[in-house]
Amino acid sequence: MGNVESLSYFVPELILTVAILIVLFADMFGMERGGFDLPGGAALLGSILALISHVWLYSQPATMLFEGMIAHDMFSAFFRGFFLLCTVVVTLMTMYSMEVIHLKKGEFYSILLSICIGMCLVASAQNLIMIYLALELMSLGSYILAGFSRRIGRSEEASLKFVLYGGVSTGVMLFGLSLLYGLTGSTDFSAIQQVLISSEKGIDLTAFTIFLLILVGVGYKIAAVPFHFWAPDVYEGSPTPITAFLSVASKGTGFALLIRLFYSTLLTRSPAGGFWVEVGDIDIDWTFHLAVISALTMTIGNLGAISQNNLKRLLAYSGIAHAGYLLMGVCLLTDVGLQAVIFYLVVYLFTNLAAFLVVIIMVDTQDEEGMNGVRGLWARTPIVAVAMTICLFSLIGLPPTAGFVGKYYLFVALLQGKLYWLAIVGVLNTVVSLYYYARIVKAMFFEPTYTEEPIRVHPVYAGLLTALVVPVLYFGIFWDSLARYARYCASLITY
Amino acid sequence: MLLLDYFPIFIMASLAMAFAGGTVLASFWVGPRQDKSEKLDTYECGMPPIGTPHERFNVKFFLVAMVFVIFDIEIVFLFLWAVIFRRLGWFGLAEMGIFLMILVFALLYVWEKGVLEWASKAK
Repeated sequence: MGNVESLSYFVPELILTVAILIVLFADMFGMERGGFDLPGGAALLGSILALISHVWLYSQPATMLFEGMIAHDMFSAFFRGFFLLCTVVVTLMTMYSMEVIHLKKGEFYSILLSICIGMCLVASAQNLIMIYLALELMSLGSYILAGFSRRIGRSEEASLKFVLYGGVSTGVMLFGLSLLYGLTGSTDFSAIQQVLISSEKGIDLTAFTIFLLILVGVGYKIAAVPFHFWAPDVYEGSPTPITAFLSVASKGTGFALLIRLFYSTLLTRSPAGGFWVEVGDIDIDWTFHLAVISALTMTIGNLGAISQNNLKRLLAYSGIAHAGYLLMGVCLLTDVGLQAVIFYLVVYLFTNLAAFLVVIIMVDTQDEEGMNGVRGLWARTPIVAVAMTICLFSLIGLPPTAGFVGKYYLFVALLQGKLYWLAIVGVLNTVVSLYYYARIVKAMFFEPTYTEEPIRVHPVYAGLLTALVVPVLYFGIFWDSLARYARYCASLITY
Repeated sequence: MLLLDYFPIFIMASLAMAFAGGTVLASFWVGPRQDKSEKLDTYECGMPPIGTPHERFNVKFFLVAMVFVIFDIEIVFLFLWAVIFRRLGWFGLAEMGIFLMILVFALLYVWEKGVLEWASKAK
């Protein structure tokens, strides 16, 4: 499809672009009007309008846009909705968070919206250069936002560590992309596949090198072992709304990148249907390599979380462990596995954002992000304690929360793929995770608090927390519609 | 996989390294040397150097440099656009109008935030 016709499919991104300009405009002229956060309001309105236009575009058939640069299909549509929803929630969190209230908010929101555009483009890119540019648009913005509280030392540290790790790993990944280009002579995904299908024997070593090098960049984005070292420090140092954004949207981008890039270049859909196979004569044991990374990631994530007393660090390690669970679905290379991954990502979105919202409430009301903040929470604010308990149960994977259904689908996919050893590792890890999540629940309900004074939760936060926790319960009981939707998104990646 | 196919590249790389290393070592051994203090000093256009090079620069240098790069790139785009202006017609004019509007807006923002003022004033 030509450039001009493609614009009608590109409306959400265009709305976000206009919103960025309006946010900056509001920042220039109307910052102090009546105490209302005008740039934040503009960003919120922009992202909500983008989400509405995204839903309106949903039923359009899959097609290539901008001369084959990006694709509009169910997969990219799913991730665009995912990122837009995440942006709306994080914008709301930021508007009322005490942590970032004194900083230059206009720039904060405009960078947040640009990151969202970058993420949407990663999920839909069909070209090596496009996918790398989109990834950089997203990463550069994240580096700035991680260090946004620039008077606080650990925020600066977070930003610097993020930049150093990010720069090196995307550099390594770019080297992999350049090898892929050198091997095939094209940057377009479908052309790369065509060349690889008809390629002669003897490119196994090159293909494996490409696989490894690209895996470095992807592993960094999703915080998979052994590229996870940045996660706890960056999550701890960043302003909490940004931590929430990084832990959900950035991880989602990593998985979008992994699936988009590998499944449409080095892998191809099997003619038999239902699973993917290597293109041409390339022989890489995908399932084994990704499964080993998955097992290591969840084990090290869960073991690291056990001794953490800072909630942000604990959730960072829990995020690493969840990247491992999600990789269980990706490594199978089947439709069922992808469906489980997409289902789990939706559950993870609601659960993790709600858990971080509780941390934001802790930081705002008592300037405390350690275990002390949640001790005796039940006596001080029962609603938040119950909401947090539901989130933690969902992260463990206990019924009747959506986390249980998500894990159920992942393990079913594993058993269908006959990857029994990974399923056993996954179950053992779930048992380990029970310990540190339950420790928070115990602190909230049974441990004495240093003060009985009730915590007053901002009404917007209370509303947002409810809006995030209700889906966690709802999809735990009526998961059928979401499962069907996930199957729809997973089976329709067209190239 | 025949690694032997790459043997010429290996020879090429070794020759390149040997040549580079050889020239450096040769000039080190063969060349005449006069270790005088003027010779070992930092070259500052013939003037005696003042202070250390590890000085902190005003952050405004970077801001101005970034703004400069953005508007410099704009001219690159404008030049290409002007060359095929007639063929693009009204569509091209509208497109460039939107592009320039965004950039003018950025200039206004930068101006309002005081990046163009060299002497910093209390905000």
